[in-house]
Amino acid sequence: MVRAALGIGRIDRGPKRLARFVPPISVVAASALSLLPIVASVGWVPDAGFLLLIAWRLLRSDAIPAWWATPLGLVNDLVTGSPIGLSMAIWTAAMLALDLLDRRTMWRDYWVEWALAALLVLADEAARWRIDALMGAPLPFSVVWPPILIAILTFPVAAWAASALDRWRLGR
Amino acid sequence: MAPPTGARPGWSRRAQYSLFFSFLAAIAGLLIGLFLLGLSLVAPKAYAGVRGAALDATSPVTRALNGATTTVSGLVSGAGNYWDAARQNAALKQQRTQLEQQIVQARAILNENRQLKAALQLRERSPQAVASGRIVGSSFESQRRFAVVSAGGGDGVRIGMPVRASEGLIGRVVEAGATASRVLLISDRATILPTRLLRGGQAVISTGRGDGTVDLRPLEVGRNPFRRGDIVVTSGTGGLYPPNVPVARVVRLDDDGAIAVPLADPAHVSFAMVEQPYQPAALANAPPPAPGER
Repeated sequence: MVRAALGIGRIDRGPKRLARFVPPISVVAASALSLLPIVASVGWVPDAGFLLLIAWRLLRSDAIPAWWATPLGLVNDLVTGSPIGLSMAIWTAAMLALDLLDRRTMWRDYWVEWALAALLVLADEAARWRIDALMGAPLPFSVVWPPILIAILTFPVAAWAASALDRWRLGR
Repeated sequence: MAPPTGARPGWSRRAQYSLFFSFLAAIAGLLIGLFLLGLSLVAPKAYAGVRGAALDATSPVTRALNGATTTVSGLVSGAGNYWDAARQNAALKQQRTQLEQQIVQARAILNENRQLKAALQLRERSPQAVASGRIVGSSFESQRRFAVVSAGGGDGVRIGMPVRASEGLIGRVVEAGATASRVLLISDRATILPTRLLRGGQAVISTGRGDGTVDLRPLEVGRNPFRRGDIVVTSGTGGLYPPNVPVARVVRLDDDGAIAVPLADPAHVSFAMVEQPYQPAALANAPPPAPGER
């Protein structure tokens, strides 16, 4: 019974050698999803890098230090072609906001995390919408709702990916 | 409840300092991000080199993946073509005989047109293609409509040049790397295009709507001139785009304008041609011609 609980082959399984760098590398990989050769006429696909970043941050507060969001945002800006500095500012602000929210939230469960992620996605898309308007593309806000909803509904996938990667990198 | 006064990771000075410095670094990062964002708002051209290099570094990935998907979809559609060969053959033969008749007519019209133009002493400026490339990617995660074309500065592409396909206008170049360039599509909200109605020649302003369609407004206020199925072509005003390039087809009317679908769907055009600006001086003021320019 006890031996079965230990599991076969579970001895000698520790964290991977580069376990610290798995979270940022996975965020860069998620940003690079925008390089897929999809030519779409609407931009409804969620910002995968941002979703994975906040999924990691909500899963563990130490997986990605807050200031790493700045270089990760720069990579996202360069890869996706959004104005340089936009993701840098938004992502770092999101990390700082979550640091502050960590002290306020009395308990955490799955629904609270999803609600926090929804708020952050909403803020992210609203900021992008505002910057697009300043850069000469003043769209009505109604255009932004579908991608916001899709991103919020996609967040569980990002949370699952982050937790699966976390288990893998820590050898659990 | 009031939050605790600070996050203390314990009694270790080292842990406290590292937490504090990482907080400072995050705030510094935020400020740097805001500064760079401000710079890209005020002086977008400042990053042309960096962005071109990023485009060069990332486009090979997209291009390779694009090759793979084209091969796979080609296998599938190729198999479908074999399945249906006999019927397709008959249909194509019939189409060919019809087209032959039309070609003869078109030749006659072309000849007549040339004679008339010569009589009017109109000089025809033939648009010069600078380079041609495939459309390999797009900004499917952003509300802006951009596409990546596999032709860049090494092929002579410069920022501001118009891009078209045989079906119609695609957009204009906004970033150019050495081997790839980013194109602002006509369905982007920032594209404001002087066009005219093919039927009747009324001046129309075409603006992107960000969802793959364009918004058409007549310049002269009055009766709505559009009908479903109408085609608008570029007017050549502003000098950037050559005149008479097909732009879009009207699909829906609204109270004082219409909504149209671009004729060149970036997802389906085989090749995108980058051309010289119609009037070379237009490169200097590459931003879209203002609506009131006419």
